[in-house]
Amino acid sequence: MPMFISGFFYIIAETFKGLYRNRWMCITSTGVVMVTLLMLGLFMLVNLNISHITETVKEQVEIVLYIDDNADQETLDELGQKLSMHSGIAEVRYFSSDEHMGRLHRQLGEILEGYDSGLDNPLLASYEIRTNRPEAVVAMAEEFESYPGVSNVFYGQGYVENLFAVTGVIQMVGLALMAGLSVTAVFLISHTIKLTVMMRKREISIMKYVGATNWFIRWPYVLEGLLMGFVGAVLPLVGLYYIYEFSAEWVEVNNLVFLTLLPVQQIISELAKYLVPLGTGLGILGSIFSMGRFLRV
Amino acid sequence: MVEAKNLCMRYEKGGRYALEDLNFYIDRGEFVFFVGSSGAGKSTILKLIIREIKPTNGILKIFGRDVGRLPRHRLPYLRRNIGMVFQDFRLMEERTAFDNVAFAMVVTGSSRRDIRKRVPHVLGLVGLHDKARTRVCDLSGGEQQRVGLARAIANRPAMIIADEPTGNLDPGTTLDIMNLLRNINLRGTTVLVATHNREVVDRFKKRVLYLEDGKLVGDEQKGIYAHVH
Repeated sequence: MPMFISGFFYIIAETFKGLYRNRWMCITSTGVVMVTLLMLGLFMLVNLNISHITETVKEQVEIVLYIDDNADQETLDELGQKLSMHSGIAEVRYFSSDEHMGRLHRQLGEILEGYDSGLDNPLLASYEIRTNRPEAVVAMAEEFESYPGVSNVFYGQGYVENLFAVTGVIQMVGLALMAGLSVTAVFLISHTIKLTVMMRKREISIMKYVGATNWFIRWPYVLEGLLMGFVGAVLPLVGLYYIYEFSAEWVEVNNLVFLTLLPVQQIISELAKYLVPLGTGLGILGSIFSMGRFLRV
Repeated sequence: MVEAKNLCMRYEKGGRYALEDLNFYIDRGEFVFFVGSSGAGKSTILKLIIREIKPTNGILKIFGRDVGRLPRHRLPYLRRNIGMVFQDFRLMEERTAFDNVAFAMVVTGSSRRDIRKRVPHVLGLVGLHDKARTRVCDLSGGEQQRVGLARAIANRPAMIIADEPTGNLDPGTTLDIMNLLRNINLRGTTVLVATHNREVVDRFKKRVLYLEDGKLVGDEQKGIYAHVH
């Protein structure tokens, strides 16, 4: 059998033997990875959903542009054309004063029954506009106010500014917390692996004395780190899947329709993209860095 | 095989010399004792030979190469030609005698077939053919040192270095281990032993390098320990 194959089998066998021999330490290390990534994952779940909900709310923000009663047809045509050509507008719909009245009748029903349709309709015709960028609503509303034929512009003044300010803060805090948790995870995992390696420093020094190269010594530890990191990332993902599924059901059962949560498959695959490479990467890097000192024999 | 020219070693900058201006030459196939009291510099020489530490000044040539200038990545290949025996055995205690010896061969890239053939052979040479599958922690001190010896010779090194190999053993076992080292030497392997065991040195009458406070104060063929003091 060629030498490198013998070495390969040795490394694979050593990886699993090492995991078995140091099983309690490995379980502890994996546990630390699991708990840290579970916390990180839970926070990401919340943050991703907050982002999703705020994005949904932002998309619902509209500008209502009321048309001046006294504007002539030419001005109205020009206004309609200007709006349809505007690059910042995603969708524009026109509602005549009669359509508004019809809407009002549908909404208020009996209350408006006595209202004689023969009287002048006091409601103004309007354009309802959805913008490409919800954040640009305030600036665009100010721009539309100056258009000829526009009597008044409404976009939920006060509420929209607050919404953007609050969601901005939530996202910033979320990012800061996620960065903080990631740093904590790196710290905890590398220290736990260092402890595992320290327990085996005698073994490592023996390897050095009998002429093992640094990479020959490192490989089993690197693979161990990879496996611990991988398991430490996959188990929280499984846990997060069930936690999220349960939470989504609870939201649905309690009819919290304003909470439009992301679908479970989508969010878990999103988390997996982040947590699995993070867990395995941390395991590998933790092993390599923790060994450095012990290899200098 | 081992050549020291004005060899100096100082562990701390400005501190005292652990070895000072050493000059000696050891030929292939020799059996040499390094003797001296604690702190005389015996172990420091052995550490320099395996390049666990680098000399502060001077030259130390092993197999014709200056180990002080040897790049770090070449160290494993130097050490594969030197079998090492330690006072505290330095074995993997939870593993079997076979595993400990095989381990030294695996790291040097020996094939599984060679390992299966060679390990029982060397365990037989040190008288442990029936203990191959016994865990090291279940062996006596003398048996553990035999495993250490078997591991040291597994890769057929050109040189064996032993740092106080009998320091933890009773007189009877000490003699056994020294006889094994002598037998290894008779097969052509250079053997260097650091010791302060007077009886061993006097009994075997081999070349003795006397160290005192890091200086080489004597070099005698068929020397005896008494000359140190």
